[in-house]
Amino acid sequence: MAKDELALAIANLERDKVLSLVKERLQAGVKPMEIINSLQEGMVEVGNRFEKGEFFLSELIFCGEIMKEAMVELEPKLAAGDREYRGTVVIGTVKGDIHDLGKNIVVMLLKGAGYNVVDLGVDVAPEKFVEAARETKTSLVAMSMLLTSVMDKMKECVQAVKESGLNVKVLIGGPIIDDKVMEFSGADYGSAVASDAAKIAGEVYGAA
Amino acid sequence: MADVAKLAEERKKRYLAAMNLEKPDRVPIRLNFSGEFISKVAGYTFQETYYDWNKNIDATRRMLAKIDGLEMVMGGANLWWATLHDAVGARYLKFAGRDLDENTMFQYVEDAYMLPEDYDDFIENPTEWVATKFLPRIHAELDEPGTYRATVGLIKGAYGLANQLAAGGQGMASYQQEFGVVPSVTGVSKAPFDTLADTLRGLSGIMMDLYRCPDKLKKAMEVLVPHNIFYGMATAQGDTEYPLFMPLHRGAYPFMKMDQWVEFYWPTLKAVIEGLWAAGKRTLFYAENIWTPYLEKIAELPDKSIVFHVDQTDMDKAYKVLGGRFCLSGNVPNSLLAFGKPEEVKDYVKGLLDKYARDGGFVIDAGAVILDDAKEENIVALIEAVHQYGVY
Repeated sequence: MAKDELALAIANLERDKVLSLVKERLQAGVKPMEIINSLQEGMVEVGNRFEKGEFFLSELIFCGEIMKEAMVELEPKLAAGDREYRGTVVIGTVKGDIHDLGKNIVVMLLKGAGYNVVDLGVDVAPEKFVEAARETKTSLVAMSMLLTSVMDKMKECVQAVKESGLNVKVLIGGPIIDDKVMEFSGADYGSAVASDAAKIAGEVYGAA
Repeated sequence: MADVAKLAEERKKRYLAAMNLEKPDRVPIRLNFSGEFISKVAGYTFQETYYDWNKNIDATRRMLAKIDGLEMVMGGANLWWATLHDAVGARYLKFAGRDLDENTMFQYVEDAYMLPEDYDDFIENPTEWVATKFLPRIHAELDEPGTYRATVGLIKGAYGLANQLAAGGQGMASYQQEFGVVPSVTGVSKAPFDTLADTLRGLSGIMMDLYRCPDKLKKAMEVLVPHNIFYGMATAQGDTEYPLFMPLHRGAYPFMKMDQWVEFYWPTLKAVIEGLWAAGKRTLFYAENIWTPYLEKIAELPDKSIVFHVDQTDMDKAYKVLGGRFCLSGNVPNSLLAFGKPEEVKDYVKGLLDKYARDGGFVIDAGAVILDDAKEENIVALIEAVHQYGVY
């Protein structure tokens, strides 16, 4: 459970309190990165509550909006190189599928948990995943899908990354991921639950 | 011909009996196929059936000729006639052959096409708002209302839709005459929350509205109740024998917490279902994904007023909470139909029938609409298993 007042405020979805605390701390000279760390601590708590079934998607999305508003204040005050990340995650919706709602929620939670997220958007071709994995030197590529009918293309994307020779784990996410889909896809990780993404990234990057 | 007519009569009797919680001769088979699955089985590309209406109608005919034992079809043909949407320059749809590969499924581009500041106008006069604000936003040809181009666009759209509905009706009638199949549904409508969430405000928009303008959201949903009842009856052309198709989306778990669901999703959905039931129309409560936490609330509906369709809802719990008062349908997993073996499908069907169909009031179906990833041999296995284990 978060102890910091700001972390608690975002975990409790108290928008006004979050925004005023961010302003207060900036004025008091607290480093922006330190404030972001508190916000992230709160976001992780939100993810935990979602996982336990205490929070629902409406609350995740609302929390993401509060975070966005807070970042409007913080981003301009961050100097280059200030940000410390726990790792980089490349993410995209697989070729043939243009749905981004699930992906965007995962992006928000990963950012909230302190990862540098490289979002390739939707309808992402296998070679794009490989290219981005190579450029960013990431250890985790995450692929999203809604449609069950893009399964073959999802498999192509997973295989392209696996055959690239890069030392990268592949995570697939979407509402229809189950044992059958996992077996078919050849991915390392899979889940139908958004909050699992940060847990899996933690496993890949060896975080606590 | 007489045999086919007899077949249709038997299938209808079987389906209606199950929905009335009786025991028919055996468990009815309702399989809601997407146009994409039908195209694949028929040997057409998606592009062909999206754009060529004759191939679209013919595709279902080919499927019915190829797979024995299909008892029902959802409607005339593929839901989507891309030509119509091209004619008005739909920005919110992507189709095979235009934006996507020829065998990629159509897709809906969700966005907040209605903005928070539109609520007041919407509540005041939804039809006017749709005609003057919403349609121009989502259609390139209607961009500038009142111009010659936009006027022609409206005519093209209305004429195209009338053509599509007429052709679909003829298609349905011909399938009935040639193959003895009956409609699984007549008419379609939505939960008022979904009308706003799916089509108008988008997911992020609606979720923010829950916190930022809850009263306007509620008012807008109330305005939609009579509209959605009327729309259901109109699209069913007054039919009250078969159920109305109501695909339910953002009320699934875990979009909203229980108190939000009870406050926002349920009251107007309940009002629409009760309004339809008062007109004699039963609703196919097509609960996509998971609805387990809400079963006790759903049990508030009048007996038999819905068929509760199970996708990934806990079937055991649905049977306990709703069984005996409402017909249940479902729930052969779509992933099993896509990746499983025929034997596994048969085992699953047998399990369902043994546990939930013994007292009648049960219709077998896939969990969700069957897309082109389903294997034809698994559909055949499903049908065979019902013939083998589903006789009363």
